Amino acid sequence: MSVLWGILQALIFPGFLFLSVYALFAEWMDRKLFAPMQNRIGPPLIQPLADTIKLFSKETIIPKAVQAGLFTLLPYFSFAAVVTAFLFVPVYGVPAISSFPGDLVIVAYLLTIPTLVLSLAGWSSDSTYSILGGIRALTQLFAYEVPFFLALFTPALLLGTWNISEIAARLPGFLLANPFYFIPVLISFLVGIVALQGKLERKPFDIPDAETEIVAGPFTEYSGRLLAIFRLSIDMEMVCGASLLAALFLGGPQPFISWMPGIISYLLKTLAIIFILAYIKAAVGRIRIDQMIRFGWQILAPLSLVGILMVVLFQKGGLI
Amino acid sequence: MSKIINWSRRTSPWIIHFNAGGCNGCDIELVAVLTPRFDVERFGILLKGTPRHADVLMVTGPANLQIRDRVRRIYDQMPNPKFVVAIGACAISGGIFRGCYNTLGGMDEIMPVTAYIPGCPPRPDAIIQGVAALIEKLRKGD
Repeated sequence: MSVLWGILQALIFPGFLFLSVYALFAEWMDRKLFAPMQNRIGPPLIQPLADTIKLFSKETIIPKAVQAGLFTLLPYFSFAAVVTAFLFVPVYGVPAISSFPGDLVIVAYLLTIPTLVLSLAGWSSDSTYSILGGIRALTQLFAYEVPFFLALFTPALLLGTWNISEIAARLPGFLLANPFYFIPVLISFLVGIVALQGKLERKPFDIPDAETEIVAGPFTEYSGRLLAIFRLSIDMEMVCGASLLAALFLGGPQPFISWMPGIISYLLKTLAIIFILAYIKAAVGRIRIDQMIRFGWQILAPLSLVGILMVVLFQKGGLI
Repeated sequence: MSKIINWSRRTSPWIIHFNAGGCNGCDIELVAVLTPRFDVERFGILLKGTPRHADVLMVTGPANLQIRDRVRRIYDQMPNPKFVVAIGACAISGGIFRGCYNTLGGMDEIMPVTAYIPGCPPRPDAIIQGVAALIEKLRKGD
């Protein structure tokens, strides 16, 4: 019985089906929030679903020059990595469906896979634009990945645990008891949001798929079903990243631990993060790749280090 | 099932824009369609950079010897089902270039065209109406 329940959870509610629906909703939310900032109306609610169904029903072209096996497998690989990562993030209460000490590291690595897949997709597409996009995706990875990891590890260091569900459960109470720690957690949260924007390759960090320079970057040769899976996996990555930040910094489904209020609290927190992401996307233009690297290493990385340093100093100074 | 697929095709036509050698007038009007004033994302229309992602090829300018193979190649790169919309007098019949030594005539000399939008250049409203006509054709087609 409990095995069946576990499978149901992984496939339907906080797992795969919920993630797909919420990812489509998040894409609509993102586009709809983006539109009024440009003085537009924006697409209807059903739009991402229509895009996905249409892409699934279209012909899938595999160009002659590519390695067909790798080219076809890569989107599924990225999709699977993101869906797996989502199983460790608490949705309706703590702990998450799957939880063990140290799952934060697993999730951080699983969320890196879509970027690596993008660069491989660029290389295997055998098109100049794709290869350029792949190289840019990989170059950009070095700029945001380290600050992102450091930002994620700040609350872990603070509470002395690497378990996402435990951090989500304990962080709000801990912060209320020790208000000094608000400062490093806030710094890490901001770094995490900016780095997540880079991870999702959205403005100002949409350098790998800059449509005015290199057409569609790594996606240039993808069409039909494979493109639909890529799009879906990127939407899911957005939801997964937002949920991870909500769990690590905002307490996930806290202060409620029961089903319905927990879900509502989780949805509100993730939508707030998606709103910030959409706002950044609307407010800025694309920067160059060298500016991106400089920004990553001269501003983001030192800021996240400051967060960690403050935690260590506070703990050594006996503020706990 | 086919009804759902047909609905999704009507709801999300992604376009790619190609200028076959016109005077840029139609292109400016087409770009105006995509600006906030007309906001065709309301109807799910998005401009895509690569033919692999697009459903509708919006082509302006006359069919001439120089462009024939290029535009045919872009058309062949698009995944099925695909549609072509000819925008402006040149793309319909060759327009002012008709009868030149290098002009073949309209875009339908090269590839099948689903909808024609007349005008020199057509207003953005007319282009939206043309796309709506294409969508109407799709609705009846299935």
